[in-house]
Amino acid sequence: MIFHYLIRGIILSGFAFLIVYLTKSDQLGLYIAPRMETYVKLSAVGLYAAAVYQFYLVFRTWSGSHVEPDCDCDHTPSPSIMKNTMIYGLFLLPLCLGFLLPNTVMGSTLAAKKGMSLNGSVNITRPAAGNTSGADQAAQISETPAGAGIYNGGSTPQSADEMFPSDVYTESYAAYAKKLYAQDSIEVTEKQFIETLTTLDLYRQPFLGKQVVLSGFVYREPEMSSSQFALSRFAMNCCSADALPYGLMVSYMQAEKYKDDAWLKITGTLELTQYNGNPVLQIKASGLENIPAPDSPYVYPDYDFGFDS
Amino acid sequence: MSTVALRWATPLVTLVCMGLMLLIIMNRDISLLGLDVSSLQSFKIMFISLILEAFPFILLGVLASSLLQVFVSDKMIQRLTPKNPIGGILFGSLLGILFPLCECGMIPVVRRLIRKGMPAYIGIVFILAGPILNPIVYTSTYTAFRSQPQIAYSRMGLAFAVTVIIGLLLYRFMRRSPLKDAHVHHEYHNHDHDHHGHHPGHSHGTRSQHEHAYISSHHHPAHSDHHHHGTGQHSHDEHHRNGSTRRSRFASILAHASDEFFEMGKYLLFGALLTAFIQVSLSRETLIGIGDHPVLSNLFMMGFAFILSICSTSDAFVASSFSGTFNAGSLLAFLVFGAMIDLKNTLMLFSVFRARIVLWIIVLTFVLVLAGSYLFQYFFF
Repeated sequence: MIFHYLIRGIILSGFAFLIVYLTKSDQLGLYIAPRMETYVKLSAVGLYAAAVYQFYLVFRTWSGSHVEPDCDCDHTPSPSIMKNTMIYGLFLLPLCLGFLLPNTVMGSTLAAKKGMSLNGSVNITRPAAGNTSGADQAAQISETPAGAGIYNGGSTPQSADEMFPSDVYTESYAAYAKKLYAQDSIEVTEKQFIETLTTLDLYRQPFLGKQVVLSGFVYREPEMSSSQFALSRFAMNCCSADALPYGLMVSYMQAEKYKDDAWLKITGTLELTQYNGNPVLQIKASGLENIPAPDSPYVYPDYDFGFDS
Repeated sequence: MSTVALRWATPLVTLVCMGLMLLIIMNRDISLLGLDVSSLQSFKIMFISLILEAFPFILLGVLASSLLQVFVSDKMIQRLTPKNPIGGILFGSLLGILFPLCECGMIPVVRRLIRKGMPAYIGIVFILAGPILNPIVYTSTYTAFRSQPQIAYSRMGLAFAVTVIIGLLLYRFMRRSPLKDAHVHHEYHNHDHDHHGHHPGHSHGTRSQHEHAYISSHHHPAHSDHHHHGTGQHSHDEHHRNGSTRRSRFASILAHASDEFFEMGKYLLFGALLTAFIQVSLSRETLIGIGDHPVLSNLFMMGFAFILSICSTSDAFVASSFSGTFNAGSLLAFLVFGAMIDLKNTLMLFSVFRARIVLWIIVLTFVLVLAGSYLFQYFFF
């Protein structure tokens, strides 16, 4: 029994210290979104309290003053040594991985597994007829409000409202699009990364030819040409398991110079290109700058988007 | 059935774990196993983030369960739970509004409640409905599907309908206690507790046992914390010895919580391990390639949700990234089924409930969600 208390104490404090270690070295953000961090830190306290209690039991048992504490003990450890080794091994594995392997940022390898989104968050109904891809049509819900405007081919719309038609659901995007359109150079910020990409993709036409500044890591798919890559960021909602890569296609003559997972800040103009049979936005890069990977490599959905005016 | 699966699963995992550890220790390149270092890194990120994400919830769950065990008498639980099945099912399915817990935190609490005499069907309804019918999940779904708020409404609606039907079926057909009684025998063989001899069969949740508990709590009116498990003759003795119940209660909470943490944790970890492994080894494109079919897409999305095992508060975000390729009905299937049943919590369910009940719950949920998602697709989207 004393062995069980001891190893449980070690495991519990191990997890508590793993959380403390990740916090101290500013690496907790690699695993968990900021809104979850407080809870994870609090759980370190809980784990530590439980660990202290296990060590206390070790001491009590060792000094002989301990009587089996309770009660409803459906949790008596199995007598099989083999089984115990396995169970405790299962707990020790994440600890070993956590402490021994260096922490890395999610990059191209995972982006390939998770599937890159080059269209922003595509669940927005695009109020347009001309350039909707087949995939988007599948997403369109039948009841597109009558208020949603339709682009009429090449003719340039006059007013901002005509240029950025919206329905009740895309109002916040239209408002944001007007704000972006007024800027000479559109900077895709960390705070509203997904929202900005979605807005640009939603109202492609007016933004074509506009200057954009974007930073992210280089990601390639086999289908891309040698002068293309995607510049992307992982967007995390809760933890890495639900993180998804979002990005924009970049075209640059000497694209090969930049390796996968290299961090770049790119300035360029927006254009439309075909990729895998669908039209996607692409930055025709004019300025590329190597940057160090940012302290917080991931972006998060902006929950205030659309609520601030 | 589950015991067989678990008997094989655990050695397998250990083997993998030991292999990985060996490679880490020897600093060998894993590529000789067909895996490269970056895959191992990805695996590590997934695995640890799944665990860290679940920790707050599971700790909250085991803490709540221990507090219930130590401070709330069986009698009170039995008095508070509705007697009427309809009331009970509504109570169970809407309890999530009061306690927006993640499913991993829910299972220990529900087991405790069932042991303390809450009808089992209410507990199972809570496990199924709780992760969806709560304000946090509603808000996150609504935010993720800004342009299609009907997804959020129908997620709530379908989840409610499915759990009510399952609750009624369980009420009608479930005769035995769904809890594993293997544990109980275990407990009694391993402990020399003096049980006053008032728990002969000690199968939880059956009516006669409730009466026993009821009677026994009348036997000892002084001990309000006397549970029908014979809550530690020792702690009672200690009460008498020390004259202070506070300390032993505190110790009792810690003891329960850490024991339950390990008991639940091993399933959580195993689930996280499998999930991380699958996420790293299967690419989404392959999956979409398999599932991109108008009729099969619902089925596929349910399977995908099962494998992903992500928390119900964040799955809407992932689902919204699929809305370009999948129709609303299959996204709804993903959102409802994945939150109720997934790889991680199936393992935890098997640890607490009898295999036959778990399988029934999974089959029922599967069929009902599938049918429901087609209906919603047909009528609402």
